[in-house]
Amino acid sequence: MQLSGKWKILGWLAALIVLLILPLFLGKYSIFLLSLLAIYALVSLGLNLLMGYTGQIAAGHAGFLAIGAYVTAIVTANFEWLPCPVTLLLAGAISGLIGFLLGIPILRLKGFYIAMATLAFGVVISEIILQWSSLTGGDNGFSVPTAKIGGFEFDSDFKLFYLIIPVTIIMTLLAKNLVRGYIGRAFIALRESEIAAQTIGVDLAKYKTIAFAISAFYTGVAGGLFAYLITFLSPDAFTIELSIDFIAMIVIGGMGSILGSIIGAVILTGIQQVFAGLLDLQVLIFGLSLIIFMIFMPRGIVGMLTDLKEKFN
Amino acid sequence: MLKLRYVSTFGLIVMVALCFAANDVNAEVGVTGDSILVGCSNSFSGPLVYPGTQLVNNGLESYIGYINAQGGVNGRKILTQYYDDGYKPQNAVANTKRLVEQDKVFAILSSQGTGAVGATVKYLTQNKVPLLFPFWGEPSPGQKYIFNSFTRYPNQSELVVTWLVKVKGFKRIGILYQDDQYGYGFRDPGEKMLKKLGLKWAAAESYKRGAKDLSAQVAKLRKANLDACLLVATPPPGATFLKEAHKQGWKDTRIISSGPLTDEKYINLSGGVGEGVWGLSLWPDPVNSQDPAVVEYRKIVDQYGKDKDKTPNRYSLFGYFYAKLFVEGLNRAGKNFTRESYIAALEGIKDWENGMIPPVSFSATDHLSQNSGFMVEVQQSVFRPISGWITLKEGTLVPLKQ
Repeated sequence: MQLSGKWKILGWLAALIVLLILPLFLGKYSIFLLSLLAIYALVSLGLNLLMGYTGQIAAGHAGFLAIGAYVTAIVTANFEWLPCPVTLLLAGAISGLIGFLLGIPILRLKGFYIAMATLAFGVVISEIILQWSSLTGGDNGFSVPTAKIGGFEFDSDFKLFYLIIPVTIIMTLLAKNLVRGYIGRAFIALRESEIAAQTIGVDLAKYKTIAFAISAFYTGVAGGLFAYLITFLSPDAFTIELSIDFIAMIVIGGMGSILGSIIGAVILTGIQQVFAGLLDLQVLIFGLSLIIFMIFMPRGIVGMLTDLKEKFN
Repeated sequence: MLKLRYVSTFGLIVMVALCFAANDVNAEVGVTGDSILVGCSNSFSGPLVYPGTQLVNNGLESYIGYINAQGGVNGRKILTQYYDDGYKPQNAVANTKRLVEQDKVFAILSSQGTGAVGATVKYLTQNKVPLLFPFWGEPSPGQKYIFNSFTRYPNQSELVVTWLVKVKGFKRIGILYQDDQYGYGFRDPGEKMLKKLGLKWAAAESYKRGAKDLSAQVAKLRKANLDACLLVATPPPGATFLKEAHKQGWKDTRIISSGPLTDEKYINLSGGVGEGVWGLSLWPDPVNSQDPAVVEYRKIVDQYGKDKDKTPNRYSLFGYFYAKLFVEGLNRAGKNFTRESYIAALEGIKDWENGMIPPVSFSATDHLSQNSGFMVEVQQSVFRPISGWITLKEGTLVPLKQ
């Protein structure tokens, strides 16, 4: 059933072209939504590297998203001449560094204690944003300046689409390479058994902190794109619920799967958007659909697809 | 496996494309021969779920239902569309874009929450979509497409301080405030006003958002021997403060609750120790007032309200009142109107008598419907008026008629 290499490349090219010309046929809201989906897919990808591949439960990724978003907003406001890809890299780097630093004390923890520590991290970040109002604007929020490269301004959702989608594609490809390489295999070894991984020579401390740093880097870059797209930041945006949403995305899509991260982000954000019009019933239906997903697809959508494929074979 | 991935990725993209295909345009956005479409993003879940559901389901919806039952405005029924943002700014932006781009609303009516509304302002202004009477305390004045609702927090603080000094003759005034922008929005303007009156805060204490223990602050403020103490808090710590003051037997200082605390829910939270507290009320008592306009509000909410909990409250009163003001604008804009001419019609409103708050006037430079309030005292768990409507004009207290 393998497709030949040529056809595979052609198929991906076709998908890429469809994606890139899509905005010409869509309304502004749909373009905005696609960009938001891509940003969440990026976060979900970063989280999956940490949770799905390395097996560390992280419940505070809204915190990294916030760091990326605020770094981008503050840097863009103060250094307008800086091209936005540099700003995004900086946002990712700072978030990654904080992820690395957070990873060090967390080395001593296991399982749900890691979840507790990361949860607390998310809360602390949103409290810092609130209290450090001279820098972040606190409760009043922060109006994000337009992203720029030289004289070109990404001043509409249409233009931003062409910033957000390429970044997402590039980072997805990088993630794909990463998990297939030595680092990815080390991550998976850690997830399956820390003792076994150590006996085959995987440095536990090194790879756990690397996983935290990479995951935070992805989320930080996503945060930067988030800031440019939403154009206004306030601490209310980065709540515990958002962190939980991210976990739900990878659980629905499929733990330890790049495609699963993207599918999960699309489905969860899609469900939220479709149900937003149901008002009071939204939370109930959202919860019920999550339970149904868990009962019928315990390994996520990608897990279910793999099972189906094996059945047919 | 590869084929599977390829097919599902491709399918995903096509699915998304089909789901969100764009629709075409109208002569005037949101207005047809027999209907006008308005809407908003609001809190139907999350921390502001009570204000959100009451404002929309019993406020906006009841008055709009009442108007539609009478045939609408100039032969047009008012249609509404709402989306839940759970008080998350990014969801508010997504919902607002959906309302404007996909549903094609004429205007955004009474969205809620400082962060959530703030996130949509730039987009709405750029696209010249009217943002009418959002529920937020920090409005940015001087924007053509935004009409604001209630008295801004800084103005509330100035009003209360001036009244305490000029009318009550108080000299030693202190403040307990939440240590964030909301708290500073009361503390700093109050301090400026006190300075003008030759005074300063006799004591100022703060607490961090979410604090559970305020005993130290209460003890310090009590020691300062104050005539009055402003309490700038959200309902749970506000109630904690009152309970702690009661516990420590602090009775010789008048406590004055800040704007959003002057609310029936908060009084219930404090468990009966709120007696004698003063506050600035922006609305007549929704439960007990016998003003004809408020009586009518209760009747219409009872008949047309869509929420199960129809207990009158300040949020449904807000929604009801601003739906009424929105309709007043429609009446004045006439049969054929655009967003621009509707704004001009609203700006033409002068001394609009409404029986609830002092007459409303707008102009090209003034888009704030209310800049006033009246002092109340909690007596037997009810806010009783202890002053008439007041406002500040160039630093001087001016009485207003309702």
